[in-house]
Amino acid sequence: MSHFPSRRMSRRRVLGLLGAGGVVVAGSAACGGGSLGGDDDEPATGGGEGGGTVKVGLVIPQAGVYTPLGVDMLNGWELFLEQNDGMLGGYVVETVIADEGEGPDTGVPAIQGALQNDQVDVLVGIVNSATALGAADAVSEAQKVLVIANAGAAAITGEAASPYIWRSSFVNAQVVVPLAEYLAANDISPVYVMAPDYAAGQEVVDGFTTAFVAAGGTVAGQALTPFGTTQDFQPFLSPIRDSGAVATFVFFAGGEAVSYVQQYAAFGLAETIPLYGSGFLTEGGVLGGQGEAAIGVRTSLHYSTEIDNENNAAFVEAYQAAYDALPTCYAVQTYDAANVLNRALAEAADLSGDAISDALGALGEIEDSPRGPWSFNGQTPEQTFYLREVVEGEGGLINSVVEDLGVFTQP
Amino acid sequence: MIVDWFDTNLVSILNGFAIGSLLFILAVGLSIVFGMMDVLNLAHGALYLAGAYLGYQFAGDTSSWLGFGTALGAAALVGLLAGGVLSTMTEPLARRPHLDQALLTLGVALVVAELLAISYGNDVLRVNAPPGLDESVQVFGRTYPAYRLALIGVGLMIAIAVYAVVERTTIGALVRASVADRDMVSALGVDNRKVKLAVLGAGSALAAVAGVLGGPIYGAAPGLDETVLILALVVVVIGGLGSIKGAFIGALVIGQVESLGRALVPDLASFMLFGALALVLIVRPRGLFGAKAAG
Repeated sequence: MSHFPSRRMSRRRVLGLLGAGGVVVAGSAACGGGSLGGDDDEPATGGGEGGGTVKVGLVIPQAGVYTPLGVDMLNGWELFLEQNDGMLGGYVVETVIADEGEGPDTGVPAIQGALQNDQVDVLVGIVNSATALGAADAVSEAQKVLVIANAGAAAITGEAASPYIWRSSFVNAQVVVPLAEYLAANDISPVYVMAPDYAAGQEVVDGFTTAFVAAGGTVAGQALTPFGTTQDFQPFLSPIRDSGAVATFVFFAGGEAVSYVQQYAAFGLAETIPLYGSGFLTEGGVLGGQGEAAIGVRTSLHYSTEIDNENNAAFVEAYQAAYDALPTCYAVQTYDAANVLNRALAEAADLSGDAISDALGALGEIEDSPRGPWSFNGQTPEQTFYLREVVEGEGGLINSVVEDLGVFTQP
Repeated sequence: MIVDWFDTNLVSILNGFAIGSLLFILAVGLSIVFGMMDVLNLAHGALYLAGAYLGYQFAGDTSSWLGFGTALGAAALVGLLAGGVLSTMTEPLARRPHLDQALLTLGVALVVAELLAISYGNDVLRVNAPPGLDESVQVFGRTYPAYRLALIGVGLMIAIAVYAVVERTTIGALVRASVADRDMVSALGVDNRKVKLAVLGAGSALAAVAGVLGGPIYGAAPGLDETVLILALVVVVIGGLGSIKGAFIGALVIGQVESLGRALVPDLASFMLFGALALVLIVRPRGLFGAKAAG
């Protein structure tokens, strides 16, 4: 049942793209031939002199709570292709969109469909960690490369690692370790820790607490809120004041991030106990919903529109011109996924998973990313993190960069 | 000792009343519609969501009494009309099982929610509280949002108004008679369909108004419709079908469970709502104030 809508969605989306400006070249003849005769007859199309087509399955949520992330990811993907004439590494790109939905129940079948029915060469995307982990076996068995453009579970490139699964985004705990060390180094302690009660929340809390305590900080208290069903955080806010904490650290995203930041201000906590968080707390569309309540909130993340480098300035300008919106880390992660594939496909001997994977491993530094230079380390980015603070900008609220927190690899 | 306890938990208790007030406004319509007209209206949550987006439409940019008032009026109107449409749609299903109505109204709810998502996008949108209420005040030395205090008052006023209409007017008598024995009322020459139209209209208007009133607390976002529908159903089941007093007490109980309960035993937060539901179902299967099952 969940398979059918995703197919329809992808077809409608592909048709829309075709009409919009020719990012996608959906040629049934071209891709049909590739799977049978192509590999034997043609010599390796390394650097493909305009001959070959690469079929990419873009797995993004098109329904459910993560839809805004899916929009940003699609924008990032399309922007890179637009800037590169619809080509990656000399191959003409045919993008097939698979609807990830909210969780593995819709996401995993969508990925299997892209692998089996659409016969894609490469997969890109995936917001939800459970979906990424659920699809790991199918991807490895199919021997196709998957570049994860969001999902941050440690296991994806940790204990469940596969030579075919790469990540252009972050690891949950990697995002907050820099902040934990910053708080401890600046004697901002004790800290109250709060996150939603699910896998990612738990990972972040563990990662933060371990790094914070190791650096000499003290945790004043901790609360895990029911995930997805908590609209009112008041019951969890009162204990913060009584705990003696001088700062609060939280990990929330989406609707919960909006409610939390607003209520943290409304119950008078923001004035006395500053709020710190994982960058997703104030990233993208949630800022508009939070409004003035978000001003002064400090977070750590691997991206901000305000990072001062030429690549970022050009990227932000191009993105705004194309979509009339500020880019988010989700857009950058997918933009960078396209970037690394562009480089790897130019070097790879052919479109097999092994060849692309080898090429990805040999890439070295990605020096032209909007987030600043980064490189793969353990198939996931080793990158700079930034301390950001929400301020009122010219066109609304922005995450200004307060400080460079240094380069971090996955913990 | 007891004073200390109150001091620590005062904000949670107060908050329980605020949430309870909102839940009452939301659930009373569902309770009467289901209890009286036997229409299981699963589109109730979608009406709340429509109200929340109307709140964003008129009070999303700036904080003004005009905007908030307009949103409330528009929500009441939209709710009334939607109730009329729902009443007409469910009419052919009146003699069929509840499941048919549930499927129809659930379908309507999904369509409405999707249309709202298409028009307003998937981000969480803000609804501003009116001026004066968008600040925080000191209550016994603790900071508390003024809007939530006002919400307690509004909930009480609506509760009194609904109670007065149902218990003290002729129309109310008709409604109560229909809850007790629909066929007899019909035999007396009253057109059941008109009563149903009026009740569904009023109930839906209250749900949409609750959406605007809840806006400054919960905002407007996809998925909110399901969350509030579940809360409303729990309130109705705990309070008992077709009872205003039941909806009121049920809403206050759930308000405190969601607020004070979570503050006292945070580890059981996920479990508490349905734990309370299970307890009531075991001890009093018809709900706290439910009428004896007819026939």
